[in-house]
Amino acid sequence: MKCRRCSELAQVRLPSHHTGFCAPCFETYFLRQVERGIHEHKQFSKEDRVLLAVSGGKDSLGLLLALTRLGYDITALHIDLGIPVSSQGARATVEAYCAAHSIKLHVLETAEKGLPIPEVKKRVNRPICSVCGKIKRHWFNRFAYENGYDVLATGHNLDDEVARLFANTLRWDQAYLAGQGPVSPAEGKFVRKVKPLCRLTEYETAVWCFLNGIEHVLAACPYSAGASFTGHKKLLADLEERSPGMKMQFYEHFLQRGKPAFQAVRAEAPPLNECARCGYPSSMEVCGVCRIKDQLEA
Amino acid sequence: MVRVLIESTGEQREFRALKSVTQLLNRLGLKSTEVLVIRGRELLTPDRMIGHEGEIRIRHVVSRG
Ligand SMILES: [Zn+2]
Ligand SMILES: [Zn+2]
Repeated sequence: MKCRRCSELAQVRLPSHHTGFCAPCFETYFLRQVERGIHEHKQFSKEDRVLLAVSGGKDSLGLLLALTRLGYDITALHIDLGIPVSSQGARATVEAYCAAHSIKLHVLETAEKGLPIPEVKKRVNRPICSVCGKIKRHWFNRFAYENGYDVLATGHNLDDEVARLFANTLRWDQAYLAGQGPVSPAEGKFVRKVKPLCRLTEYETAVWCFLNGIEHVLAACPYSAGASFTGHKKLLADLEERSPGMKMQFYEHFLQRGKPAFQAVRAEAPPLNECARCGYPSSMEVCGVCRIKDQLEA
Repeated sequence: MVRVLIESTGEQREFRALKSVTQLLNRLGLKSTEVLVIRGRELLTPDRMIGHEGEIRIRHVVSRG
């Protein structure tokens, strides 16, 4: 097949767009989709200081390259979870990448904050991925807030968003449906959160990383026995194959029609408290992360 | 012989001949948007011909963990 833009031999076929691209034209397409996601949802501008959460996987490193190329003011933040082997590998990957591209990088160790993940795993009886996610979200937000960043960006892509939307819809979880989307506005000690890859699929970010020679972490976390939503992603991939473009439609129609309805319902929800220990937003007197710390210290 | 390496598992497969990438994906039970089909420094679209020899890498795109 031939590239739609320049008629050279295509390297990438995108059924959802009924098209194919050669390598240079795919890169143009990819950067345009990132830019379009940012503009359409008013995520941030060139004046904003953006903190990007970087895990070492393809989505976050791919996004880091794209935002740098597009000329945004980006600082990377990596959270070292202290998991033997896998955390060292992820951290080394991120450090090497940022050094090679002269990108500002901060590394925050959860162990230093009293939360080494291997210890947490021993003491907490809930699935470790949800606990770990909670800890990461807390520290990403807290670091951004304390250091005066305007926005916190993450590498979540269209597939992540659609899988989450599908899970939330299956439960008709009104609070989550009201809050889901490519932008969460700043509120109290929550900084604005954005997902600039919301228009791009996992396949597309993998292609982007390959074409740019990005060395990213391939191994899964040793604690995750199948990451979140894997089953849903399979189902959605089957649907997408039968009707290309369905994922994007499901997501965009939700944002246009579904989300406003859920937000109206949620407007009556009580405001968040501040955690009695750390002062960050919480629905309880002491936030989830401080409660995990208590459990470790007990 | 066409040698195919599946990166995620390290598994190696050999095929005497493969008409196209689509045929390879069908043999492996994979969707075209589920993996990158890599030959050298190039990505192959499903319609590309493969033939009797060469080395191909299959990289899964789903991020795990
Ligand atoms: Zn082209
Ligand atoms: Zn707290």
